[in-house]
Amino acid sequence: MTGIIGALERDAVEEILNIAIGQAAASLSRMVGDRVALSVPFVEFLSPAVAAERLDGTTGGADSVAVRQHFSSSFSGDILLIFPERRSLDLVRSMLGDSVPMDSLTELEQEALLEVGNVILNACLGSLANQLGLVIQSSLPIYLRGRGARILDTKHPDTELVMFLQVDFSLAAKGVQGYLAFVMDIVSARHFAAAVSAYVSRVIGG
Amino acid sequence: MTSRTVLLVDDSRVARMMTRSVVERSCPGWTILEAATGEEALDLAAASAPDFVLMDVNMPGMGGLETARLFRQRFPAAALSLLTANIQDFVRDEAAHLGIGYISKPLRDDLLVGFLTGGAGSS
Repeated sequence: MTGIIGALERDAVEEILNIAIGQAAASLSRMVGDRVALSVPFVEFLSPAVAAERLDGTTGGADSVAVRQHFSSSFSGDILLIFPERRSLDLVRSMLGDSVPMDSLTELEQEALLEVGNVILNACLGSLANQLGLVIQSSLPIYLRGRGARILDTKHPDTELVMFLQVDFSLAAKGVQGYLAFVMDIVSARHFAAAVSAYVSRVIGG
Repeated sequence: MTSRTVLLVDDSRVARMMTRSVVERSCPGWTILEAATGEEALDLAAASAPDFVLMDVNMPGMGGLETARLFRQRFPAAALSLLTANIQDFVRDEAAHLGIGYISKPLRDDLLVGFLTGGAGSS
């Protein structure tokens, strides 16, 4: 699926997203007081089913929890923050520290993850918008739990292709790993790549 | 420090808890009120005249920017700052246009204390 966007566009998209995800990682690091290690982002065009399998592969087939936000500008799609379910409580504990009694943590888990997602996903979208000189509208975050197909929730899983970007991150000291994913349909992905290319041309052209 | 009233406006209970803990540590004895929506915040402000207001942006209902505009009209004496994960330039620009502070999430204690002790707050 390399023909959907050109090699230079793909490189530009990955670089812009790399900066946006760096902003998101900085926010996560401040929230949990730990260093965040990031993998190199890599854009792929996958069928929703394959994207779901990819997500399930990272959790060994177990359920994940995710915070998903829909966004729209000249392109639209979904951005997701995903954690293996078994580690989500560790993340909440890292975030709230000692200020919340242990027996309240489970009750607050969903709301805490929504707030983590809100901060991180908006940091990423905000950086993207600021770099490209666009306004990106986003929905309120929603909380999801389940396998990859449920979390990605694509409208036409058998026929659509999605631009799938997955970045692995880990909190070194706390052993928590997670994933940030962008999902866009092909039309939006082309618009997004065009916006990125226009931005790069402006920057290079001075 | 004279006792003051702070109104925290955020649809996330966890976000309110985290902000509340910083206010309690930094300004002991102050009254802290909470609202989960802009509409609720305006009602609370009419009854309690808060000195400081911290306002999320992305909320169900009227949203933080519209609520902030109404606060400026109805309660001009209250010091108001956005406290938001939305770091886009247009949000900062709108805060500057309204003459209110802008603090980004995740919250930094020093910025919040700066706002509560007289600064407008911007990060």
